[in-house]
Amino acid sequence: MKKGLKLSSKVLSRLLIAGLIGFVTTFTVYMFNLENKLIYYVIRPFLNKHYDSQVRDRRIV
Amino acid sequence: MKITDKLIASIDKKLERFDPLWRAEHGQGGQRSRYYDKTGIEKYREWRGVKDTMYDYSIWLKNLGSMGLMVARNPVRVVKGIWEYRWMGSYLGTFIFINRLYEGYRGDELRVAHMGMHQIVASLTRLIGRVLANDKRLGGGPLSDTIVPMDEVIPPLFMKGFKGLTGIPLQLLPEFIICDIDQQLPPHYIDVAESFGLAADVCSRCAVETGVAFDDAFPIFGKAFLTTNMPCNASECTSMFQRRRVDLPDMPLTFAMQHNTKEGNEYSVQILKDAIDFVEEQYGVKYDWDNLFKYAKELNEQNTIEMEKWEFFKTPYSPLSGISETMYKLYEWAAANGTEHRFTKNDRKVIKIMRKCYKEKYLPFGGKTRHRAFMWGPSAVYYTDMPTWCQNCWGITLVLNMDSTMGHNMISTEDPDQAIKDLARMSEKAVMRHHAVGGWENVNALWAWAKSFNCDMILFNDNIACKGMNGVHAVMEEQARELGLHFIFIEHDLEDNRSCPRRDMRKCVNNYMSIVLNEEPLDPTLVDFDDSEAY
Amino acid sequence: MKDLKHLIYFENLLQDAQNELVTKAVEEGKYALGYNCFYIPEVLLNLPGCFSSRLRAPRCSSSDVANYYMTTRNCPYVRSILERAIEGGYNYLSALFGAESCAAMERMEEHFELLHPVKNDKFFVTIMDPPMRGDKTNLDYYKVELKKNLIDPLRENLGVDVSEEAMRQAIAEHNELCRVVTEIGNFRKLPNPPITGYEFHVIQLVTEVCPHYLILPYLKETLEELKTREPEPEFPFRAKLVVVGSEVDDPEFTKLIETCGAMVVADRYCFGSFPGREQIEIHQGETAFEAICRHYLYWSQCARFMDGEKIDQRHREVEYLVKEFGADGVIFENMKFCEFWSYEKILASHIFTNELHIPCCTIEKEYALGSVGQLRTRFQAFIESLEIKTIQGGA
Repeated sequence: MKKGLKLSSKVLSRLLIAGLIGFVTTFTVYMFNLENKLIYYVIRPFLNKHYDSQVRDRRIV
Repeated sequence: MKITDKLIASIDKKLERFDPLWRAEHGQGGQRSRYYDKTGIEKYREWRGVKDTMYDYSIWLKNLGSMGLMVARNPVRVVKGIWEYRWMGSYLGTFIFINRLYEGYRGDELRVAHMGMHQIVASLTRLIGRVLANDKRLGGGPLSDTIVPMDEVIPPLFMKGFKGLTGIPLQLLPEFIICDIDQQLPPHYIDVAESFGLAADVCSRCAVETGVAFDDAFPIFGKAFLTTNMPCNASECTSMFQRRRVDLPDMPLTFAMQHNTKEGNEYSVQILKDAIDFVEEQYGVKYDWDNLFKYAKELNEQNTIEMEKWEFFKTPYSPLSGISETMYKLYEWAAANGTEHRFTKNDRKVIKIMRKCYKEKYLPFGGKTRHRAFMWGPSAVYYTDMPTWCQNCWGITLVLNMDSTMGHNMISTEDPDQAIKDLARMSEKAVMRHHAVGGWENVNALWAWAKSFNCDMILFNDNIACKGMNGVHAVMEEQARELGLHFIFIEHDLEDNRSCPRRDMRKCVNNYMSIVLNEEPLDPTLVDFDDSEAY
Repeated sequence: MKDLKHLIYFENLLQDAQNELVTKAVEEGKYALGYNCFYIPEVLLNLPGCFSSRLRAPRCSSSDVANYYMTTRNCPYVRSILERAIEGGYNYLSALFGAESCAAMERMEEHFELLHPVKNDKFFVTIMDPPMRGDKTNLDYYKVELKKNLIDPLRENLGVDVSEEAMRQAIAEHNELCRVVTEIGNFRKLPNPPITGYEFHVIQLVTEVCPHYLILPYLKETLEELKTREPEPEFPFRAKLVVVGSEVDDPEFTKLIETCGAMVVADRYCFGSFPGREQIEIHQGETAFEAICRHYLYWSQCARFMDGEKIDQRHREVEYLVKEFGADGVIFENMKFCEFWSYEKILASHIFTNELHIPCCTIEKEYALGSVGQLRTRFQAFIESLEIKTIQGGA
């Protein structure tokens, strides 16, 4: 019983820590707009280069 | 006051100097101070106080979850899709888009706005997933041959009568939605179309669709294609190109242009009957009225709630207005159109909040509204957040938008003959069609709408390529003068931000507000700024 | 060639919407019925006691007031018509029968109601919703719309006889005019025609803007004259062309092409004779009205038709004209700000060039033929390319 309680409190505390880390990380990403900065300054320029070099079947009909 | 509320209030007090609304009020900057110049990229997200920031954050997580789910369901196809289609890359800008739409929103207006937007995100990610999973260009899928590609302006509810088939508006993903999200995308497709000789003065929305067709960038699925003459001349023309490029048996649904007449409605009914025959023949299915009725009930409930919302719009106590109203209504009506229960559920929740706000005499946007405006004419899709800017900069609340008045008639859920008449009526009154075409009385209905919603101002979208609306330019202005309404023409080029940039659009409002009305902006950082490189 | 006897007279008739023949017919008590678009069957406006007047705005050099009403970003044809109306140029009209063929046209016609520019007590406007496909559903709708917006108002507002007999009479007279104009036009098929494209354009236009019963004697005389007219000893042009596209009601445009060295042998544009001068047949069991509706729906080549069959028909018709009139190529024009013809221009030029192998030059034009330098350069270059092609044996 005691062992079980200890285990569950351990799991709970780990979950809490994971949750806290998760919150701090995602909230930091959120607050500092990091995902959008990454998309705007890194991912999209890379993708645009790719799109510009694509050979497409460009024709009227 | 509970202890948590006290705690939150004290944190809010301590951190209020980070709140752009407070900063604008105290002459210490404002919304625009948070941005890197030109880019539309915020250095940091808006601090809205503890409660609203945490709410915004939670919705951000929720939307992120919807996107994650889409990727998790079919990661290979999603990556392939992003690699194949330029327009797919633009969807990465969705969070930037949401941020700018709801800038300055607090309390209940933030809640109803996000509740609606989350439904859009959830619905859209599901649709993107489905399209990519069945796109024959990417390898096809189980639904490839049971999808019916159709024009984005044909109400999807009609397709629900074909049980077992899925009607997917072909232009919805590559053009209709994405042009709202990324103003840099449409010029690419416009240039493709113009490189083949298309004149630069045609409607840019249709030029984009034509460019997507020429650029071979439509997903490929289905066995037959339903095009349409809606809403206007240029859309008829681009349909003629798309049918050749899609290269499937096709049928144009040519609804009556003059749609206020009994004869016009009868003709539109026959068009729908012809379409049923066509799809039945091409796909070997029978039209199932019971299935249609099932979804018509959803739409009817949504429309009933919408009518109640309108009653609240007429008062100063509606938390739903501006772009949160427009964007939601546009998607719910034009893209979902009764086919998704999630929107009905959302409407039920939103209307409860609206009732509560009315009861409590809740004044949205901190009670800073100075003018109530009706927005008329097709809006610039590359500046979807213009209503938000109007609110934040000048205190102009956009009470209702012309396109939100589209097809609100109920659909019979018992009688097929009546149902098809109702569907025809609804189709005739579709997006950009209800008021922009079909005769003078439709466009001239503006004044009655504005009066009924207690507006003192008209923001008239002046799409420079819209021949129909250009054709009533002076008579509208003259009437506004006679009626004593504030009337502002906002020049724009619908999807081509190069001819009328956002900055020039803002100037139209700035000039009127400062020179004619001699008013001071609520947030001086928003009056004039450069966002030419923003999505 | 010796000048055509009536050419200068015809040219003068084109100088004003209200020309001397229009005035004469109005003084005789006839109702002048205005229209802009082929969707309004000309024959129905020539029922007993009426005559048709297809609206032009000759010599319109600026449309300042219309620009105020419709902006400068709209079709210059419709702006010019509105300007002329505001100037009082259409006060002879008893009615305007409009069609929502395009948004600009419809808005312009609405201004005839909103601004009351036509000072005539009887004057009224109707605007119909024209069909967009060539099938039965659309034929039925066309009939309903024409009845509601044309036949009934003619009877109710002006007391015009719209009976079967009256319609048959109108068809017979219309066919007679079409027969004469077609015969005149057929001279353009000859290797060395006794008529120029410009002359034919003038003739075709007068048939659209003058009361038929007054212009017909002149046309018949001209036809007889052409039968014996001596052409130039040698064909004076370097190429033959078909002009295709939107509204052209200024014969100076044809003259411009011809001064660049190519004869215009066929006119497949709004205000041209293809379509417009085909005779109407009444089939067994059909009423005259039904025949008229079927005829106009079938022959209309408008770029707003959306179904595959009508789209293909547009291109087949041009191919036919090129072969029938021995043309070397096509000039495809569209009026600035015309969405339909702007789109159709790129589709058609692609089909002509790549699928039908017909050389095609595309241009965009204003209503008033002001600065023609650019157009002249384009035409000259195109004609030169056709010549080179001929020299190289069509390679």
